[in-house]
Amino acid sequence: MPLPREEKSVRPRPIQIALMLVVAMIAAGLVSADPAQDKVFPHLVHQTRLDNGLKVVVVPFDSPGTLAYFTVVRTGSRDEVEPGHSGFAHFFEHMMFRGTDKYSEDEYNEVLKRMGADINAFTSDDRTVYHMVGPASELESIIDLESDRFQNLRYSEDVFRREALAVLGEYNKNASSPFRAMFERLRQLAFEEHTYGHTTMGYVEDIKAMPGYYGYSLSFFERFYRPENITVLVVGDVQPDSVAQLAEKYYGSWRPGYMPPVIPAEAQQIEPRAGHINWPSPISPFLMLGYRVPAFSDTTVDTATLDIIAQLLFSESAPLYRKLVVDEQWVDFISGGYSDHRDPYLFTITSRIKSDDLVLKVRQAIAEAVADLSTEPIAVERLERIKSNLRYGFALGLDSPGSVARTLSNALIMTGDPHSLNRVFGQYQKVNPEDVRRITRETFKPETETVVTLSHLEDRPGTDDASEKSKAEVH
Amino acid sequence: MSRRQILGIDRWGSLPVLAILLSAACSGSLSTPPPTAGTTAARQEGATSKSRPDADETAGQDELGASRPEVVALPSPGSPLVAVRLMFAAGSIYDPQGKEGLAALTGLMLAKAGTTGRSYSDLLESLYPMAVSIDVTTDRETTTISAEVHSETLTGFTALLTEALLRPAFAESDFRRNKQQLEAFLLSTLRASNDELLGLEALEQMIFRDHPYGHAPAGTLAGLAAITIEDVRAFSESRFGRNSLTIGVAGGYPEKFPEGLAKTLSALPPGNGELAPLPIPATITGRHFTILEKPTRSVGIHFGYPLPINRSHADYYALMVANSFLGEHRTSHGRLMQQLREKRGLNYGDYSYIEYWHVPPFTNHPSPNVPRRQQFFSVWIRPVVPSTAHFALRNALYEVDRLITHGMSEEEFELTRSFLVNYSKLWAQTLADRLGFLMDSRFYGMDYYIDEVEERLSELTVDDVNRAVRKYLHSDNFEAVIVADDAADIAEYLESEVPSPMVYNSEPGPGIREADAVIERIPVRPAGISTLPVAEIFESAN
Repeated sequence: MPLPREEKSVRPRPIQIALMLVVAMIAAGLVSADPAQDKVFPHLVHQTRLDNGLKVVVVPFDSPGTLAYFTVVRTGSRDEVEPGHSGFAHFFEHMMFRGTDKYSEDEYNEVLKRMGADINAFTSDDRTVYHMVGPASELESIIDLESDRFQNLRYSEDVFRREALAVLGEYNKNASSPFRAMFERLRQLAFEEHTYGHTTMGYVEDIKAMPGYYGYSLSFFERFYRPENITVLVVGDVQPDSVAQLAEKYYGSWRPGYMPPVIPAEAQQIEPRAGHINWPSPISPFLMLGYRVPAFSDTTVDTATLDIIAQLLFSESAPLYRKLVVDEQWVDFISGGYSDHRDPYLFTITSRIKSDDLVLKVRQAIAEAVADLSTEPIAVERLERIKSNLRYGFALGLDSPGSVARTLSNALIMTGDPHSLNRVFGQYQKVNPEDVRRITRETFKPETETVVTLSHLEDRPGTDDASEKSKAEVH
Repeated sequence: MSRRQILGIDRWGSLPVLAILLSAACSGSLSTPPPTAGTTAARQEGATSKSRPDADETAGQDELGASRPEVVALPSPGSPLVAVRLMFAAGSIYDPQGKEGLAALTGLMLAKAGTTGRSYSDLLESLYPMAVSIDVTTDRETTTISAEVHSETLTGFTALLTEALLRPAFAESDFRRNKQQLEAFLLSTLRASNDELLGLEALEQMIFRDHPYGHAPAGTLAGLAAITIEDVRAFSESRFGRNSLTIGVAGGYPEKFPEGLAKTLSALPPGNGELAPLPIPATITGRHFTILEKPTRSVGIHFGYPLPINRSHADYYALMVANSFLGEHRTSHGRLMQQLREKRGLNYGDYSYIEYWHVPPFTNHPSPNVPRRQQFFSVWIRPVVPSTAHFALRNALYEVDRLITHGMSEEEFELTRSFLVNYSKLWAQTLADRLGFLMDSRFYGMDYYIDEVEERLSELTVDDVNRAVRKYLHSDNFEAVIVADDAADIAEYLESEVPSPMVYNSEPGPGIREADAVIERIPVRPAGISTLPVAEIFESAN
């Protein structure tokens, strides 16, 4: 429910706030003063935390007149622990655009339209990110708008029920993608307890039931949209002290009260799991594999090593890629890797194969490449080429305030600390050939494998795996 | 970590990375004399010709002394990045009849294949430590080969890029692989994996029937089957030469880099730099519906018709304001989005366009380097449940007619203009995008597009906008594509003109039911309805 707003008259004057903040930031050692010449993230990061727990991170960036304003919520579909509520974090993201007493939805949109801001949001397993790119001259207006909706959101049940239909529309627009169908099935098979078992979009039955959960949506806001669970991230043509002052002014009265959910732990997988989707249209066959891996870590080499294994197996320089795509030409696409997750997740491999009779050959080729990695130590020179690729790739991705903010937001979601970026790249430098062998052996075990295939079998409509309950999701 | 995409669900659209990867190779005026590429190719009435102050314009000199290829340079000395974009006037309009897909396949054979000096695998291996990919996009008019590279690796990268262009091997195995990529894009991606891309491409094919724009840049299955490696070699000589090339360079490159690159690439064969004349698109009379039938749970709706103007024409900017008001892409404030999605919950999004938009399910802003001399107006209604498709179509027609009848108010005009002046600056946030738009401006024979938007819009009045609406927008004559599972059902209700009342799951806002009482009975008046099984599209040129 919306929280009461304090009157402006009770707030300290800006100059007082600035002084207090500077003292507090220096005392707490929270201002990053290292320009990080030797680190992969080259920009100065300023961060502070308000008394209510809200973290404010500011990165000056050379983008004259433009800023990126991200509100990063450490809540995603991972937090959907109640049965029947898959997809709710994403649905709630939609509701966050429905206005407050101070700024109705129409007024909110009109202010942003006048300033020409680019505004949107996305949800995934561990996060909901509200992002805006707009004129730096409008910084205070933006903070006013954004702080208001996070503290004082208000919408009617009629509006709530109608927006649920837009979410169903979103599901429908994605439904023709075989990737979505396979991804949904893979997770359902791989996770029996943990909430990673459902996708961020959610099951279609749960989406259809969403209009009935108005009361639940209010409690969702109460539990998760609290300052301790959120970081405000500003990148671009801004002064850190100005942002800090404005953050105190507009967010300072926000009451804490975050209630972290209890995420069920997933038991160890002890046998392989498999499923098949019969696609209704003629299509090249697809293969998707998943292997259990630990949660994200910037304090061990595990995550960094998985990234390097992904490069060794699936980059355009990988022998397996060369064999499958360039030489034998059995597949027109293959990729693999681990995407950062707060809890143990999956290393996934996806490929579109040119004909049904090649699927087993492709699986065999993948297995052989994995076996090579787990037995033969890789050359140090090859490791160095991969580290070079990762480093240049990172630098090439930092080309706008929005891309910098998006990159930093990932670190904030994983660990709450933007410097996590540099720590992961520090781990890359530590990875040695033995790490690669060890992590390969630990990851790609037959008993922790989950496989989903997809193809068009005209005489066998439906799906044929153990998860009968998922039939309705694939059409 | 940086290169890993976060798989998220956006409020107004998703970014399925794998889907983008599978579609990246192929994107999707009036009769004009054939000017030279990159100069005054598509300039129309009212274009300005000032140069952008911070852009360098140089030209390489070939051995014959001609100023080809043209160079557009955008220096940014402090940047560690360099963007290189090579735009050839070599789009799918140059595909010979019966060999549709030749331009795209040739582009792939230059950007995604081996050279006489190294195999494709060796080329990839050499690019790998730089984290560079040589990308290629073929559209109707152009093929653009592009890359972004760190300035520390620019020298090594440039040697590889120029080797790929000057010494292509045209190896049989690369030819087979790239041809299969295009076939898979048509068969597995468009027909079977993305109903929205399918509908968007099909609409263009209907609007530009019997016209050089009338087939997909990826070609047709029959066309691809007929292409030989000798065709590719000959097409490369004729259309991927120095005379059809505009070189774009932006970022922190050494001072002499652009002219050095131009000099190296002047070794390309001269080729044909003239743009092929385009016929006037066939007149559309009445509302023609094509129902693209395939197994799907929802109904996607698209309609549109050719426009006689492009962004080089003064009226384009008046129409830009009206279109933004009606349906700015992936924003919440267009009338279509507000009325269909926000007020009625019909679907995920509803937009309108006055020029081609590159792979719109995946892009929030206009993409550079897909310039076209001839453009089209279109409306995109994202998938709706079958029971509301009839109403959704009528609702969209109602909104287009409402704009034509009532125009924009002064207040609406001022707000939308303010939006566009600021928002358009966000279209060119990266060096690569700024460079791309600058190159496109050369194509259109106009000043830098992003600046032009502000200058043109500042001069407009609401009367200009409403005059442009009345002149260019209508809803009487169009091609429509409906992607759906049950074509017979749709054909039946379109022909019968039965009312299509809405059923809501909650009380809609004030005035909605009253408006619905009108909308649900709007005559659709189809002039023709045809059904096309999905297995038949992309088989051969229309």
